[in-house]
Order: sequence, then C-alpha cells, then structure tokens
Amino acid sequence: MGEGKSDVLQGTLDLIVLKTLEALGPLHGYGIARRIEQVSGDVLSMNQGTIYPALLRLEQRGWITSQWGTSESNRRAKFYSLSRVGRRKIAEETENWERVAATMARFLAPSS
Amino acid sequence: MDWIRILLSRCTALFGRRKRDTELDDELRAHLDMAIDENLRAGMSQAEARTAALRSFGGVTQTREAYRVQRGVKWPEQMAREFRFAARGLRKAPGFSLTAILTLALGIGAVTSIFSVVDAVLLKPFPFPDQDRLVVLREAVEDASGRTANPDNYRHVMRLKGTSTTLQDVAIFAQRGESVSPDGSHPQVVGTVITSSNVFSVLGVQPILGRGFVEADARQGASPVVVLSYAGWQALFGGDPRAVGSTMRVDGEPATVVGVLPAGMRFPQIRLAPSTRFQETALDALLFEPLTPSDRDLHADMGNFNYKSIARLKPGVTVSQASAELEALQNAYTLSAHLPLHFGIALVPLQKDVASGISGALWMLFAAVGTVLLIACVNLANLQLARAVNAQRETAVLAALGASRMQLVRSRLAESLLLALTGGAAGAALSIAGVRLLLALAPSGVPRLEEVHVSAPALVFAAGVSMVAAIAFGILPALRSLRVQPQAALHGNPARTGNSREGNRVRRIMVAGQVACTVVLLILTSLALRSFARLMNQNRGFDASHVTVAEADLFTPAYDQGGAKGNTIRMALADRISGALRQLPGVQSVAMTSVAPLTGETWVDTLQRPDHPVPEGQQPAINVRWIDPEYLPTMHTPLVAGRNFTPADRAHPYVALISERTAREGFPGEDPLGHTIANLLPDDKHPMTIVGVVADARINGLKDNAAMVYLPYWAFTPFTLSFLVRSSQPTDALIPEIRHAIWTSDPRLAIPTIKSMDAQVSDSAATDRFQAIVLTSFGMAALLLALLGVYGVLSYSVTLRRQEFGIRIALGSGKRALMKLVLRQAAYPVLLGTGVGLAVAALLLRWTRTVFYDSPGMDPVVIGGSLALLLGAAAAAAMIPARRAAAVDPMRALRIE
Repeated sequence: MGEGKSDVLQGTLDLIVLKTLEALGPLHGYGIARRIEQVSGDVLSMNQGTIYPALLRLEQRGWITSQWGTSESNRRAKFYSLSRVGRRKIAEETENWERVAATMARFLAPSS
Repeated sequence: MDWIRILLSRCTALFGRRKRDTELDDELRAHLDMAIDENLRAGMSQAEARTAALRSFGGVTQTREAYRVQRGVKWPEQMAREFRFAARGLRKAPGFSLTAILTLALGIGAVTSIFSVVDAVLLKPFPFPDQDRLVVLREAVEDASGRTANPDNYRHVMRLKGTSTTLQDVAIFAQRGESVSPDGSHPQVVGTVITSSNVFSVLGVQPILGRGFVEADARQGASPVVVLSYAGWQALFGGDPRAVGSTMRVDGEPATVVGVLPAGMRFPQIRLAPSTRFQETALDALLFEPLTPSDRDLHADMGNFNYKSIARLKPGVTVSQASAELEALQNAYTLSAHLPLHFGIALVPLQKDVASGISGALWMLFAAVGTVLLIACVNLANLQLARAVNAQRETAVLAALGASRMQLVRSRLAESLLLALTGGAAGAALSIAGVRLLLALAPSGVPRLEEVHVSAPALVFAAGVSMVAAIAFGILPALRSLRVQPQAALHGNPARTGNSREGNRVRRIMVAGQVACTVVLLILTSLALRSFARLMNQNRGFDASHVTVAEADLFTPAYDQGGAKGNTIRMALADRISGALRQLPGVQSVAMTSVAPLTGETWVDTLQRPDHPVPEGQQPAINVRWIDPEYLPTMHTPLVAGRNFTPADRAHPYVALISERTAREGFPGEDPLGHTIANLLPDDKHPMTIVGVVADARINGLKDNAAMVYLPYWAFTPFTLSFLVRSSQPTDALIPEIRHAIWTSDPRLAIPTIKSMDAQVSDSAATDRFQAIVLTSFGMAALLLALLGVYGVLSYSVTLRRQEFGIRIALGSGKRALMKLVLRQAAYPVLLGTGVGLAVAALLLRWTRTVFYDSPGMDPVVIGGSLALLLGAAAAAAMIPARRAAAVDPMRALRIE
C-alpha cells in the first residue's frame, strides 16, 4: 500500500460495493473498481484485484447476482447486480456502519 | 442462514473447478483489457497502458489465490493435502507400509473367502418355504453298544405318520442311481429319488411345468411316471418344454414325464444314517419316481431299513417336542408288537443334517481363519504403535511449532486411513481370488458348493475389524502423545533412550500373543498334513497302480429277471465282458467285482452263524462283495489262510472268503475255515462255507477298514459289474477299448464310472486333501504374519536405539555382544508365546483327534517340527535387525544427533 492511502476494512468494502451497485445498476468488476477510485478521490486506495474476492463473497451470501454480458466497449464481461436480499441488506449495513463510525468519531474527537 | 448458502455454494464449487477457474481468468482478462483501453484513450502508449493497468490491479496471482480461498471449502482440500502428505510419509517407510498392507490383505482375504464358503455351505438356509420346520427322521436303535440312528422301515414311518400329532406330514423315499435314456441311445446313470407322492408338498415345491405326483401314481399297476428336476430337464432334454408328456426309459422301462421342478429346488443330500456313506448320495437327484410300496414294505417290521424320511413339523412345534412324542410312540410300539430291538427316534433339522458331514472340518477352518485375523490385527496394532513411538519426537516438534491437536491427530488419521483403505482394497481383491481358489480345490462332494459367492457381510466384517484395528492403533498413540508436554518429549530424546519401557512391554506381549496363535495353527497344520500323509501312505491291502476301473450298470429289464434265470443271464454277460477285456493288448489280468473300490459301504449285512446263534442286534456288521477268482490276484490283496475261489467252485458256488477283521469279530479264538455263514444270498437260503481268510483291505474307503465277506459271483451275480483291468497300458488308452468291449457285449449298458484306480483313490481323499491344503495355507499365513511381527518390532527398536548401540560400540562393546543383546530382546516374547501356544494346543489336541483321521493326539514329530520351524523362522527374522545393530558405525550414529 502506498503512503497516504488507507487500507480498506472488509465490511467497508462490501458496503461500498453494494452502494455502488445501488447507484449505478448492473456493473462489471472493472467499472465497480473505477467508480470506487473516483468516489473516494484516490484516498481510499486498493488494488483493483481486491474487488473480486469481495464480489464472490457477496454473491455467495446471495446479496448480488452475476451474469455474463457485453460491456460498453464491446467486451465480454461479467456484470454484477443487486439482489432483493442485497437491497434489504444495504439499509442494515449502512446503519451498522454509521454506528461504528459514530463510535469511532467519539473516540477520535478532541477531548473537551 | 447465510452460512448455509455459503457452504452450499462452496461445496458446489468443489465440482467443475476447472471451469470456474477459466471463468475467473476470463473475468480478470476483461478487467485488464478495459483498463488498458481506458489508458490508451488517455493517450498512453500500448506498453505504458498495460503496465499501468497491471499496477493498479495489484497482483493477478494473489487475487486469483484469494478468490480461490474464498470460493473453496476448507476441509476437503485440507484432507487431500493431508493424504498427499501421508502417502509421502508411507512411501518413505516402505518396510512398514508394505508389512501393514500385506497384513491387512492377508487377514481380510483369508477370513472373507473361508467365511463365504462356510456361509454358503453351513449357514444359508435351503430355498424351501419354512425350511426350519423340515426335519430328517431316522429310527434310533438302542443296544449294548449305545444308541445309533438308522434308516427307516417303511411300516414304522407310515405308522408314525398316521398317529403323530406333531408332524404335519412325512415324505419317505429312497435314492438310487438308475440308468436312463430319453431317446434310446446309450443310457447314462443319474441320481433318482423314489418317493412317496407327497414329497413336493412336504418340501413346499411347485412344478414349473406339468404336475407333481398324485396318490394314484403310486398305486400298484399305475402307469409309470417321472418328474424331472430342473437340472435333469436341462441335462436329459436340453430344457425342451415338450419333454412333459414324452416317454423316456428308466432302467430300460418306459415312463412318462409329467412335470419339471423349478431351478432353485435341489433335492437335499441326506445320508441313510449318519455313520454310513453310500455312493448314491454323490449323485444329484435328476429324476423323481413315485414309490409303490411292496408287500415287504407294508408288512415287515424288522429288516427292510432302507428308507430316508423328511418330515414337516406342524407350525409352532419344536424339534424336541416332536422328538419326545415320536420317541414315546416308537417305544410303545416296540413293546406292543414285541419287536426284538428297542426302537426310538432321531430327529435332526434338515439344515443341520446336510451340513453334519463336513461341518467339523469347516468350523475348524473358520477357527483357523479367526486366529489369522487376530494375528493380523495384533500385527497392525504393533506396527502402528512402533511407528507412533518413532514419530513421538516429530509430533513433539510439530506441537512446539504450534500445530493444533486436531492437526496432529488428523495427520495420524490420514496415514492410518490410507493404510487401511489400501490394505482393505487389496484384501477384497484377495478374497475374490481366494473364493475362486477354494472352489477350484474343493472336492465335488461338498454340498451346495455352487451357491458359494464372496459374502458381502463377511467382507464388510473382516475389512471392518482389521481396518478399525489399523486406524484405532494409529490414532491412540497420537492422542496419548498429546498429553505429553512437548517440552518433555523433546528432552527425553526417544532416539537415545530407546522406547519407553511401557510401550515396549505392550509390544512384546503382542508379539508373544502372535507367536502363541501361530504355534497353535502350526501344530494343527502339521497334524492335518501328517494325518493326510498317513491316509495316503498307510497299508491299504490292495495295489491301485496300473489298474483301471470300469463299472457297468445292469438295471434293465433284460437282466432284471427273478431267481436263477436272471442270475444266469447276468453271469453270462459278466463272463462275456471279462473275456473280451482279456483280449485287449497289454492286459495282465481282469477281475470282476460288484462295486468299484472306494465308493463307500454298499451291501451291509450281519454275520449269522448257524453253529453259534447270537441274538439279533448283536451280530457283527459285515460288507458283502461279489467277486470272481481273479479279484484277489488283480488287486494284489494277499490271502492269509485257506484258499481262493477256483473255477471248480462254479458248479457248487456256496463258498465264502472273509477278511481278517471278520474273522476276528465273528470267530474270536476260532479257526473260521470250514464254518458256515447263513442268510447272505438274496434269493437263496443256502449257507456259505468259509474256505479262506483274506488280508484286511480298505476297499470301502481309505478310512474304513470294514469287515468283509467275499462271495463268488456264481452264487449271485450283482446288478452292477465292476471290472478291474490290470494292464501295462495307460488308462487313457484303455478307456475307449474297455468301453468298446462292454458295448459290444450289450449297447444298452450304462457305464457310470471308468477311470484309473489311482484317480479313484485320489478322488476319494479329496475332502481330506482340501482340508490339508487350506489349513496349510493358513498355517503359512500365520507364520508369515508372526515373522513380520517379530521382524517389525525388532527392527524398529534397533532403529531407535541406533545411537545407544553406537555408544556401546564406542565404549568397546563387541559386535557379538550387541547381536546377543538384540536377539535376547526377541527371545523373551517368542519363548513366552511358544509356551502359551503349546498349552493351548495341548487343550485343543483332545478335540482334534476326532477331526483328523488316525491322529495320535500329542505327536512328538508334529510338535517338534512345528516348534523348530517357528523358532528357526523367528531367529531368522530377528537376525536381520540384530546384524543391523552390530553394523552400526559409532561415528555416524553419534553424529546424527
């Protein structure tokens, strides 16, 4: 990992992927990876390859589904989309994340 | 619920792994291509675009690996790795692995194949409905010498059938060999059952074609009918359905085929009495004829004990209840009818009766097999324990490096499983080969042999027991070593201090146990071999070499004429055939007798002396044979006193020869020459004068030195003529010539037997040979296993003590002293085991006397020989590790540390 960039927590990546798919609809792995880079403004950097085990994990849980299709540049690529369970899970996971983030924020806030 | 879905998807991922890998590769390639495309659009060169894409992707290989981990299920892959590791470990210790696999294979193979035979012959029920209600019914006679079971008198059985309340029905029958011909060609002799018409309903068998018997078939003057067994239908009519309704010849008389029985129904082979063995029982019953009772059957209370009976008990009646009732009925009748003998009843379940002749030998084989299995399991346990001791330090190191307990046990389990599976597979293969071998070796007389297949439960049992032994003793030491602190195990270097005292003792006791079992098996084996050798080499009283036996069957109407007329016709035929045979080239002598030698008892009678009457039931039993004057010279049976028959006796044929045993039993302390014997001729009450005494000869069977009375065929010519041809020509060359000579005299004669007398002798000992061969193979298997045991344990301990030996040598210990040290270590368990084995054998020997022919029990040669063999072999097995111990190079041994 390069300096100035933070590593990604596992649960975080899952939520990011879900959110991405919610925002953009069905998308291939490269698209998801690029989108994450763009949104995080290169702060949250990761190897693009890391996305694939995460995608598989989500698929195994049944939160997303995959399907082979054709990309905008006419390449055969695997497209991922949110499943119904996945949509429900986003709310749950977001809530989870916010709780953790709030807790963290309280720890990190300058003591007054 | 997520975990279920994950597990499911992971499990499905176990299959089609290659396809999934390709898919992943495609996906990753698409990713990179899209990245490159974008970079190109951003104005990079092809090379730059590619490098940048790869950089931002990170490691392709790492991604692939992480993906696979996420995809796969952990334990199958781990297990595969564990097995690969175990296989490598086993390959590195080929001595241990081969010994263990061989042990498993031998144990499983031997046990399964023998059990399969025992199962089919002894344990599997007959295919008759409710066959446990079928019993064999014999009459018991009580006399001074005890109680014996005898064949049945027709009248007695009919009375029991009429009055008994425990029997549902009784079928009474006699078995014969009759010459039959479906189409008028040369007849053949086949087994027939002449039976009361209810036999099929008693057994519960329905014909598949035509009908069974009805009572009218058995009436006097009814037109003769026969029912074919399935095998008879196939053999005589080639399975042609038109057989029903057609006419065939039975003993020359026409008879109509009315039915065919199903393929599963084979008539049970039961003997007339447990003590007798008649030749007819060797023939499978192909033909059934209705029994029309003769006047004698209906009215004679004494004599005429010529029948066998199978009864069906009423439902819910036990054998002992029926026994008690029938016994009482018989006793009451004996008293009310004033019979001279005291009659009782002997009921034996059909199943048991059929198996009784051979069950002793088979159970002994089974016991031998059990012993082999036990030895095999002990061997496996021992090998595994030794290996575990060897691995103790390795285990400790692994534990110290942080291997979990589960991992340690798992690696031992993998190794044990691998051994057990390999050995089990080899054992299964061996058991299939073993059953084939046993069937090839088995004498044809063993009943129901064609039903023998590898028994699946036996295979499962044997494989289960030995595999569990292998696995259990593989894991147990691993579990135990877990309790030991790795630290302690590392400090106590097993390679220096040798094995722990405790483990050592366990293994020595196991070796002692193995040796004990082996001693017992070896002694049994050598007893069987000695008994067989005695059987074959004893003085038989006749000389079988260069003699060919040919039997002609005269049961056709032309010869079956009553009284003197029939006799004259048969005698003329015998003379004609003998004359023709004497003309054959190379023939030295030709003799004629009523029965081919070594076919069991045939004409059993009692010796009655008009000058010295003995009450009925106490007269000595004798076997009657009809012979011509050439018989004794041809058989090389010596005359002990008096004279042989001469052609001069032909005019006045009332002369007899008796064997030495008959002389001993019938004329104790007297000279039998000149005495007369009464009531021997079938149609004629003329007494016979004894003119000579003949040496005892085992012509009934090699184990049977029966009391004989020889009578000249001029007095009565039997319905089977056995010609004995002594010739310099080989039997193979003689057979067609003899056949030609007999059929030239009469083409309607059947020739049931034609072979060399040597073959006849050898065939008659087939059961004993089978027993000897099988026991020998077990003895050898046990010896081999015990040797492997001794060798395995010793060589392991030598390996472990290599450094100790190095130090000893460095300190000046001589090679001789070292070898002694190792050999002494082997000697204790071997000697202890030998002692225990001898004690067990001594107990068993009392029983083996009844199993083995002419066994003296404690036979010093047998015991000495077995011990010498075992100790010699054990010494050899111990010598190899001992020499290795002595050959330890002290410098190298010490440097290993």
